[in-house]
Amino acid sequence: MSDAFLRLHDVTLRYGRTIAVEKLNLAVSAGEFVALLGPSGCGKTTTMRAIAGLLKPSAGRIVIDGADVTRVAPNKRDVGLMFQSYALFPHLTVFENVAFGLRLRKLPDADIKTRAIQALASVGLAGTEEKLPKELSGGQQQRVALARAIVVRPRLLLLDEPLSNLDARLRLEMRSEITRLQRELNLPMIYVTHDQVEALALADRIIVMRAGRIEQDGTPEVIYAKPRNEFVARFVGFETILTAARLAAHARLPGPAYAFGWRPRHVVVGTGPYQGHVRGASYLGETVEYLIESEFGPIKAEVAADAPRHGPGQAVAFDLPFARAAPLAADLPA
Amino acid sequence: MNARTRGLLLLTPATLFVFVAFLVPLAILLAGSFQRDDGAIGLQRYVEFFADPLHQEVVLRTLRIGALVTLAAIALGYVAALAIVDLSPTSRARLVGLVTLPIMISPVARTYAWIVLLGRTGLVNNLALQFGLTDAPLRFLYTEPAVFVGLLQLLLPLMILSLVSALENVPRDAVPAARMLGANWWVVFTRVLLPLTRDGLATGGVLVFTGAITAYITPAMLGGAKILMLETLLYQRVNVTDDIATATVITALLVSMSILAKLVLSRLAKGRSK
Amino acid sequence: MNGRALQWTALGAVLLFLLGPFVIILAAGVSDGETLTFPPEGVSLRWAASVVAIAELRHAFAISFALAVLSTLGALLLGIPAAYALERLDPPGANIVRAVVTSPLVVPGIVVGLALLRYFVIPLGIGVRPALLASHIALLIPYAVRVVAASLRNLRVDIEDAAIMLGATPLQAFFQIVAPNIRNGVIASFILSFITSFNQVPVSLFLSGPGISTLPIEMLARIDFTYDPSIAALSAMLALLSIAIVFLAERLLGLSRYV
Ligand SMILES: Nc1ncnc2c1ncn2[C@@H]1O[C@H](COP(=O)(O)OP(=O)(O)O)[C@@H](O)[C@H]1O
Ligand SMILES: [Mg+2]
Repeated sequence: MSDAFLRLHDVTLRYGRTIAVEKLNLAVSAGEFVALLGPSGCGKTTTMRAIAGLLKPSAGRIVIDGADVTRVAPNKRDVGLMFQSYALFPHLTVFENVAFGLRLRKLPDADIKTRAIQALASVGLAGTEEKLPKELSGGQQQRVALARAIVVRPRLLLLDEPLSNLDARLRLEMRSEITRLQRELNLPMIYVTHDQVEALALADRIIVMRAGRIEQDGTPEVIYAKPRNEFVARFVGFETILTAARLAAHARLPGPAYAFGWRPRHVVVGTGPYQGHVRGASYLGETVEYLIESEFGPIKAEVAADAPRHGPGQAVAFDLPFARAAPLAADLPA
Repeated sequence: MNARTRGLLLLTPATLFVFVAFLVPLAILLAGSFQRDDGAIGLQRYVEFFADPLHQEVVLRTLRIGALVTLAAIALGYVAALAIVDLSPTSRARLVGLVTLPIMISPVARTYAWIVLLGRTGLVNNLALQFGLTDAPLRFLYTEPAVFVGLLQLLLPLMILSLVSALENVPRDAVPAARMLGANWWVVFTRVLLPLTRDGLATGGVLVFTGAITAYITPAMLGGAKILMLETLLYQRVNVTDDIATATVITALLVSMSILAKLVLSRLAKGRSK
Repeated sequence: MNGRALQWTALGAVLLFLLGPFVIILAAGVSDGETLTFPPEGVSLRWAASVVAIAELRHAFAISFALAVLSTLGALLLGIPAAYALERLDPPGANIVRAVVTSPLVVPGIVVGLALLRYFVIPLGIGVRPALLASHIALLIPYAVRVVAASLRNLRVDIEDAAIMLGATPLQAFFQIVAPNIRNGVIASFILSFITSFNQVPVSLFLSGPGISTLPIEMLARIDFTYDPSIAALSAMLALLSIAIVFLAERLLGLSRYV
């Protein structure tokens, strides 16, 4: 990927003496939509701030569009950043918030007006120009932040958990909005999230982070179906993970791996070679979720609600089909 | 230029200014208290200072008035603050405003009111004469109670404000919950309110105590040359007899008393809350 | 009497104690009598007029006013950058600087004046006016730093970063984004500092010279040989002035929250 638009080479980021991100390598091509996925505190925001220029790497290089920007000031990088908290200017109207970047670029007033109004319209906020941020709902504020970031036409847009403060319905709505905008503007974007569903739904590519390092980098399909190790597997919904050493005593393994993982709905309940006891059963409508105590340890299973039901304490047979299992490598030490 | 360098650059002017125009002169003055007449370092100035019975009396009086004003401010402060936090938010803000108002008014003007009240032809004497309580005007000015009352009026707002903001942070249900459990008001106060407002009490206590022992205007106007406190004594020594030796010792006493009060009271605030 | 009524009575008594003296000063100041008495004899503004007619008092007022304005401006000029650095830029030695910058708060005023006279004015050959100004600035810096730092703390940090990401320089971000949002804090600090300086006595006590005396010092000097109501009239005027300033500020600051 020598044609990468953005490239981080061995970037290390610290706060004082603590290392938040270590030797990170990452590349984003022109027009690509990359999701940065990882649990809270793993260094996602820190990485965004470094790409934006708000945090200077203590080692490594950042290259945008072929130019080394490691030492370039944030206001000269032409990178847009949308903050998790929106960071709207509380004393300025919605219009002035959006126009802020344009005014700094000393555009003629008429252009500023057209572009700001058009940007607001493109996020569905026509007519709110004269309101103050605090008069808007959370979802509307989020859209203003988006309009403010895109109106200056940055060459790269960073979004830091843009939907995490919204309720579920709004999140869904904004998700399609963001996808649409990204396609329309053909703007390379890095989208930070701790929500795997969001990452899978939005991104061309997902980078999974943990404790300041990259665990896996691949398309949503690959991340979803073939997580590399236990950490990534757990993160994308493989809830039953058993080491090969443990499994070997009871089954013939299909190939070499450190561990195998199953999603709840891939565990078979009611028939199978293994025995366990139901420790908990929760009815979820379409399906029932079981927690089964077994010689392997706890097994999480999810089966159709119309299948025969098993109550807590009951003995139950189950199977862990290797055809549906993901072979996993050992985790890197955290 | 990184943020820390920029920060250092922005801090330098203020720090340097306070250093040159305040800390250095103060340090020289303080150091002077440890200088003997022959130029060597020693406690001679302290020994001579405390050998004078008048000085002993002034030190004791300053501490006594400081302590009494603080205790009175605590008592009245709780009475007022408890009533204020009982009010609706609007009236509470209004009353806090009323309590803040005196702080904004010239202490000279504030203290002068007591001269009008307590003077030979003031309100108190006029009333006393009218009701035949006395035949000749009584002397209230230039007495210790006059200084006490003046300082209390001057400093009480600080205590009330500290206690109001502490009481505002007490969980709304704490008092009703304790009452439900059968506690009487005294128990509620000592077991619930006092522990929960200890920080505010300490803040207010420091402000009032140090305010009282370092006040100049009130003892000067209501105590005069008869009821000297440390500040008025210092002014008199420097201005009348150019006695810098005594001034350096008083400086050291005032500064260390202020710092000590702060340490002791903030220790009290933290110490027992565990 | 039940507990509630007792509580209100007590609060009333405390308020009377705190505010009553001002009523008395006002009444005594508008007395028509020749001597300071209470209750006043008749009503007139002649003592207020007589105070205004005294040239020394007018001069002292002018000095106090100029001193308060200049020292407030000086303290804000030094204090705002310091508060900003302390709150936002994580400078090395921040705690030491905080202690240094707030130290004038814990030192008795009279000591400050004396120290400055002896070891700043005399050895450096500085005039009384600049020394007075310097002492008041040092005294006000803690207030400026404290109030401005508090408003900065209430302002979210990321809006500055947002401005910078939109192309603003740090200076533009400060003046266009931070400044408008801490304006009320700065105004509050200005008023507080102005009043503190204007009313200040102990610091100025030693720092006066021929023809250079602040208004409260001039008042103190006159109290001992004034038996007519003129000082009461002056006190009343000063009290009203302070009340007017505070009231106006409350009005403006209170309103600006909604504008
Ligand atoms: N300003 C800071 N000072 C010190 N440590 C910080 C600071 N900001 C973040 N960290 C630490 O750096 C790590 C990464 O934080 P962050 O990038 O905010 O994580 P994320 O955005 O993935 O939740 C965390 O361990 C966090 O505690
Ligand atoms: Mg984050």
